[in-house]
Amino acid sequence: MNQTRRSRPTLVVTVLALLFLFVPLGIVILFSFHATNSLTPPFEGFSFDWYREVLNDPAIRSGVSTSLRIATLTAVSTLIFGTAAAYGVSRTRGRAGGAYSALFLLPMAMPGLILGIALLSFFSSQSISLSTMTVVIAHSVFVAPVFFIIARTALDRIDERQLEAAADLGAAPGYRFRKIILPQVLPVLLAGAAMAFVISFDEFVVTFFVIGNESTLPLVIFSRLRRTIDPSINAISSLLLFVNLAFWLVALIYAIRLEARRRRDLAGQKEG
Amino acid sequence: MRSGSRLAAAAILLARKKDEHVSTQLAIENLTHRFGNNEVLTDVNLNVKRGEFLTFLGPSGCGKTTTLRAIAGFLAPTEGRILLDGQDITGLAPHRRPVNMVFQQSTLFPHLDVGQNIAFGLQIKKLSKAEIAESVEEVLHLVKLEGFERRRSTELSGGQRQRVNLARAIVNRPEVLLLDEPLSALDLKIRLDMEVELRRLHRELGATFVYVTHDQREALALSDRIAVFNDGRIEQLDTAERLYREPNSQFAASFVGDANVFAIDVVSADGDAVITSDGLRLPVKSTGEVSGPHWLVVRPEDVRFDVGQQSVEATIMDAAFRGASITYRADCAALDSSVKAEIPDNLTASTIGAQVGVSWDAQRARLLPRGDS
Repeated sequence: MNQTRRSRPTLVVTVLALLFLFVPLGIVILFSFHATNSLTPPFEGFSFDWYREVLNDPAIRSGVSTSLRIATLTAVSTLIFGTAAAYGVSRTRGRAGGAYSALFLLPMAMPGLILGIALLSFFSSQSISLSTMTVVIAHSVFVAPVFFIIARTALDRIDERQLEAAADLGAAPGYRFRKIILPQVLPVLLAGAAMAFVISFDEFVVTFFVIGNESTLPLVIFSRLRRTIDPSINAISSLLLFVNLAFWLVALIYAIRLEARRRRDLAGQKEG
Repeated sequence: MRSGSRLAAAAILLARKKDEHVSTQLAIENLTHRFGNNEVLTDVNLNVKRGEFLTFLGPSGCGKTTTLRAIAGFLAPTEGRILLDGQDITGLAPHRRPVNMVFQQSTLFPHLDVGQNIAFGLQIKKLSKAEIAESVEEVLHLVKLEGFERRRSTELSGGQRQRVNLARAIVNRPEVLLLDEPLSALDLKIRLDMEVELRRLHRELGATFVYVTHDQREALALSDRIAVFNDGRIEQLDTAERLYREPNSQFAASFVGDANVFAIDVVSADGDAVITSDGLRLPVKSTGEVSGPHWLVVRPEDVRFDVGQQSVEATIMDAAFRGASITYRADCAALDSSVKAEIPDNLTASTIGAQVGVSWDAQRARLLPRGDS
C-alpha cells in the first residue's frame, strides 16, 4: 500500500474541521462539571453538583422513564412489524416487490414536522386520545424505513437455494423461517431494533406533536431550556452522549465482527 | 456400510432386478412447461425404473433441469402429471415429497455444522436423538467423512462439501434421489473421484438416482440409462451403450461421444454399403430400400486409414497425440467434410499433408434419415 501524501493546506482544513466538530462537544462536557452556574469560560472549579441535581430531579427522572418505555415499545413493534414487512417484500418478485419497497421507504423522505402534523390530524380525526401509545405508533412509522433497509439487506443475503434445500428436506414454510432464515438474520434484526431504540429515545419533533400529558426526556430538556440555562443541561447532554456513545460502540463492534464472519464465510465458499 | 448391510442391499437389489419389467417407480406423463410464451418442455414422457441410475443429458436450456425441478416440486408444470409409485404427486409441495435433491452449488446451511446439516431432515421426521446420531454417523461413514460432524461448511473443501450435501440428502432414504449437476462446480480430479463414489453409493444404497448433466462423458460413465434432451424434448432414451452405438438422431449422435456425421444423398443400397449421388460407395448396414437424404454416423475410433476398394480419399490436416492413440483430422473433398479419426498409436503414424484412404466397417456405421434442412 502506498500512503497518500497530504499537502499542508489539506491538513490545516482537516484539523479545523475536526476542531469545529469536537470543541463544542468538549466544552459542553467540560462545563457539565462546572462548580458555578456559568456556561462560558473561564472554568472556575470542578464539581459533580449538576449531575447530582439532574439525577435527583423528578421531572427528568420521569422523562427518562417515559422515554425508555416508548423507545422499548418502539423497538419491539419495529422488530416485529418491520421484520414481517421486509420478509414479505424480500420474497415478492418483480415489480410488485420494488413498489412495496418504495412505499416502505417513503417516510424517510418526509420531514419529521410533516409526519408529526399528519399523524396528529389522523389521531384527532379518529378521536384517538394522545398518549405514550400514539408516540410509539408515530416513532414506529418514523424509524420503519431505517429498520426496513437493514432487515432487507440481511434477508436478501440468504440464498434462495438454501430455502429450496430446506423445503426439499421436508421443512414447511414456517419451519424454514424459524430454522434457516431467523438464525442467520437475528443478530442484524436485533441491531436494527437497537437503532430504532436509539432514534426513538432522542426523537423530538414528531414526539412534540403526538404526545399527551407526559413528557419524554427531550421534551423535558426543551422546557427546562426555556426556563433557565445552567450547566444541568450540559450534564443531561453529557449523560445522553455517554449512553449513546456506549450503545453505538457496542453496536459497531458487533457489526464489525458480523461482517468479518460473513467475509470469512464467503471466502470459504469461493475456495470450494 | 458394514458388510452385513451391504449384502442385504445387494440382495434387495437382486430382488428388484427380477421384477424390473413391472417396477416403474417414477412416471412423467405429457409434461409441458411454459415460462410466459416460452415453451421449455414439450410433452415429455418418461418412466424411471426402481433402483436405476437415469441421467438427463443435454445442452443448457434443453429442459433437463426444468424436468428435475418439476419432480422435486419446485416448479408446477403447465401440463402433465408426475407419478411416484402410481400416486399423482404433481400438486404436492416440495416438503411433502419423498424425494431429495443435491444441488449444483452447495446449499449447506452456513449457521449449522456438518452433523446438524445432515440431521436437518431427520429432525423434521421427529426421530429420536439416538437414532439421528446413529444415522448421521452411518452416512458420514458412507461418504467417507468420519469425524467431520462438528466442522462448519466453511472449513470444508469443495469436494467435501458436495459429499455432505449428498449425505444430507441420502440420510433421509429418499424414494428417488435427484442430482442436479452436482459435480459441475468441482475440479476435474475431484470430479472423477466423485464419479466413482456416486457409482459406489448407487450400488450400496440400491436407490433410484435421477441425474442431470450436460457432460456426456459423465453421463456415459455413470448411468444405466440416459435420456438425451434437446429443445424441451427427449430425443432418445436408452442405455449408455445403445445410445453410443445406435443413436436415433443426428443430435444424439453428435452430442453423445465424438462422432463424424456426414450429410449424404443415397441413391441405392445393397445391404453392406450405400451409393451416394456423388457416386461414392460408403460401407454401412441397411435393410430394405434406402434412398434420399441421410446422415451417416461414424465414431472416430472406428475410422481406419488404409487403401481399399471402399475407401475415400482424404488429406491429413492435423494430428494430436493422445497417449494411447492419435487423433487425426483429415479433409475429405468427396464427402465435403472433415473426418475425425482416432488411430491407435501402435499403427504407423501418418504425417500432415499425407494422402490417405478413409474407411470403416459397415457394422460400425449408422444411417439416419435426414430432413431437407
